[in-house]
Amino acid sequence: MIEFSDVTFVHQNGLKALDKVNLEVQQGETIAIVGENGAGKTTLVKHVTGLLKPTSGTVTVKGTETTKASTAQLSRTVGIAFQNPDHQLFSESVHDEIAFALRNFGFSPQLVENRVTWGLELFGLEEYRDSSPLVLSGGEKKRLTLACILAWDPDVVILDEPTVGQDAIQKERLAGTIKQLGSAGKTIVVVSHDIEFLWPIQPRVVVMRSGRIVADGPASSLMLERKMLEEARVSQPQLVTFYQELARRPRAPFVDPLEVVRWVS
Amino acid sequence: MVEVVRAENYGFRYSESKKWAVRNFDLTVGSGEIVVLAGPSGCGKSTLLRSVNGLIPHMYVGQTEGSVMVDGRPVADTPMSDLAQKVGLLFQNPENQIFMFSVERDVAFGLENLGVPREEMRKRVDEAMRLMGITELAARAPHELSDGQKQRVALAGVVAMNPRLIILDEPTSLLDPRTALELVELLERLRKENGTTLVVVEHRLDLLVTVADRIVVMSDGTKVLDGTPRDVLFGDQAEGYGISVPAIARAQRLLAREGRAPADRLLSAKELADVLGGAGT
Amino acid sequence: MMWLSGGFIFRKGNSAYHRLDPRVKLLISALLFTATLLVRSIFELALVIAFAMAISATARVLRRVGRTMLLTATFSAFIFVVNILFTRNLETSAVYAIRFIAIVVSTSLFFITASPDELEQVMKTFRLPRDVVFAFVTAVRFIPVMMLDTLQIMDAQKSRGLELEKGNLLRRVRNMIPVLIPLVVNSVIRSGELAEAMESRAYGAVARPTSLVEYRARGADKAVALAAVLLFAIGVYSFYFVLPTYLP
Repeated sequence: MIEFSDVTFVHQNGLKALDKVNLEVQQGETIAIVGENGAGKTTLVKHVTGLLKPTSGTVTVKGTETTKASTAQLSRTVGIAFQNPDHQLFSESVHDEIAFALRNFGFSPQLVENRVTWGLELFGLEEYRDSSPLVLSGGEKKRLTLACILAWDPDVVILDEPTVGQDAIQKERLAGTIKQLGSAGKTIVVVSHDIEFLWPIQPRVVVMRSGRIVADGPASSLMLERKMLEEARVSQPQLVTFYQELARRPRAPFVDPLEVVRWVS
Repeated sequence: MVEVVRAENYGFRYSESKKWAVRNFDLTVGSGEIVVLAGPSGCGKSTLLRSVNGLIPHMYVGQTEGSVMVDGRPVADTPMSDLAQKVGLLFQNPENQIFMFSVERDVAFGLENLGVPREEMRKRVDEAMRLMGITELAARAPHELSDGQKQRVALAGVVAMNPRLIILDEPTSLLDPRTALELVELLERLRKENGTTLVVVEHRLDLLVTVADRIVVMSDGTKVLDGTPRDVLFGDQAEGYGISVPAIARAQRLLAREGRAPADRLLSAKELADVLGGAGT
Repeated sequence: MMWLSGGFIFRKGNSAYHRLDPRVKLLISALLFTATLLVRSIFELALVIAFAMAISATARVLRRVGRTMLLTATFSAFIFVVNILFTRNLETSAVYAIRFIAIVVSTSLFFITASPDELEQVMKTFRLPRDVVFAFVTAVRFIPVMMLDTLQIMDAQKSRGLELEKGNLLRRVRNMIPVLIPLVVNSVIRSGELAEAMESRAYGAVARPTSLVEYRARGADKAVALAAVLLFAIGVYSFYFVLPTYLP
């Protein structure tokens, strides 16, 4: 579905943000990209829709090289939910806001209506259909931006730091949505430094550090590598730390971290 | 213990709104305490913060009930210039609190406004920058800094005014976990070196649970829980009010109910492992 | 866009010129500016521009000034053509066109070598009200932030299918609306947050705020200022009284 082949990206000021990155994302996978702020996570993700073009190497989405299509075209397949809803909302009504992308992508008026209604229902925003998007609360705005993206049904959904500023209820709802999308066969990429949020989802984890991928594997095994995590300045889920500490004790009642997750959840 | 903040049956309704943002709110904060204020989005935390630092009622109009007192004086009767020296407020977005083109000038901003003489100002600015670990950044421009650095610059600007109480509104929301931990360490240092009282509004309880003296939970404008971290997180009601109980606390709570772990204080992952699996190798 | 940012936005430099008192820098640019308005021949204008470029060279900003000149030249050519059409006089049209370049260069020189802090100091010297100075300084401080916001907004809207590079002029202007509205909304939100922060840090508590840094003119600054005024006086004298006897 998405392929990064030896991708290097150097900023105008000479800073190397991505260094020979190789990554393959299969259809239907749920991946988390983790690393400290500045490790290159958002830079990586921006390459998928061609917002950034590699200095060397290629990025391919569903067989198309990102340098050969516009961002708008690539976005038909890959929807990116950016961190700040206030950077997107501008329409007169919530209805129009969801319809914006659909109209840009050439959906028929009837289909636009269907998709808007679907999006409003899925995210519990029906009562705001004709309201201005600017009067919604922070949490509602975030749901709206997600509705806007899912409305055009992209194959890939990328979420850039979706948990920032969210309370526990909102995070739970988000985790549920991610699981739902995963079951529906969507490919999901979550960029996040919130390890506690990611852990129960058990995604494939890609760890980035200084523009490089330093680890790539299932959460259940990757999160055990304390040294690698420390060097990448990524925190370990508390339950994993607990499990590892237990494993070093004379009496260890747990076999693997997943059991700990199930036990506590 | 001298009370820094005392809210009694406090209520506030913004004039454009029909709903009371805060109602029947009681709270006391003692000197040198670190209090975490938690609660779901929209529960009135922001309104409460502004009621303590004076933006309500001096900048925002509405209807008030009850009282909020800082250092024994009602907030409504204290001018902002006095309140600014008693209560510092660190807002959520560090970018929109930095006005000047250089770091040290921004740290001096509040002192300039108060007319502090240059020599004293210089001392206080240098001291605040030292405490926040940003002395080398003195001449830098804010847009060149990382989020964590901007956070410290904004905090230094508040610290320079020597307030007794500093309120922080979701200070770690933009930071990654390691940087967030560093900020928490800074806050502890502030309490230790300056005796500053701290009230931190935060969703990410796992970062603060070890340093907080108390957790106060708000819901729908009023206080619903108030106690030590252990009291609040081990009770049954915590999740019901929409706060995220840290995973380790949940584990300990489960074990405590089965009688396999102590229930008198919160343990770290290591300590809990000691209890469950025997002393470490 | 590049013209604006290349020609008028301050960037840190460490030449002796940069270290001059900002009031002296303003004086030099003002004198250059006045000179361009006073002189009347192409030769004299060229001299003024050459002088400005020499100063730019000492300030090590020659490349930026040169680029600004080139970008201004296109508009200048336009002025030239319009003048030719209306006056049919080659020489005066050329004078107008070149004068425009000279004006841009002399003002650009000031703005790219004076930091916002220095601009603030200059404004204070002219006894502008504190609120005005503060609003100006804060606005300048947020220019890079707003430029970054614009890029992020464009990224977000492009990701929703907005084509910013295709279409005729009318379509392109309409497509800017989804970028401009969030930008304006963000600015309004920002103003609100800044106001809260200002209040919380006692803005307006005292009628005369003190200042952390003090700008005092050094001997070198005064010397340069004097030299500049003298040179200007000599130049004007030459142009008006001496040269005409040598030139037709």
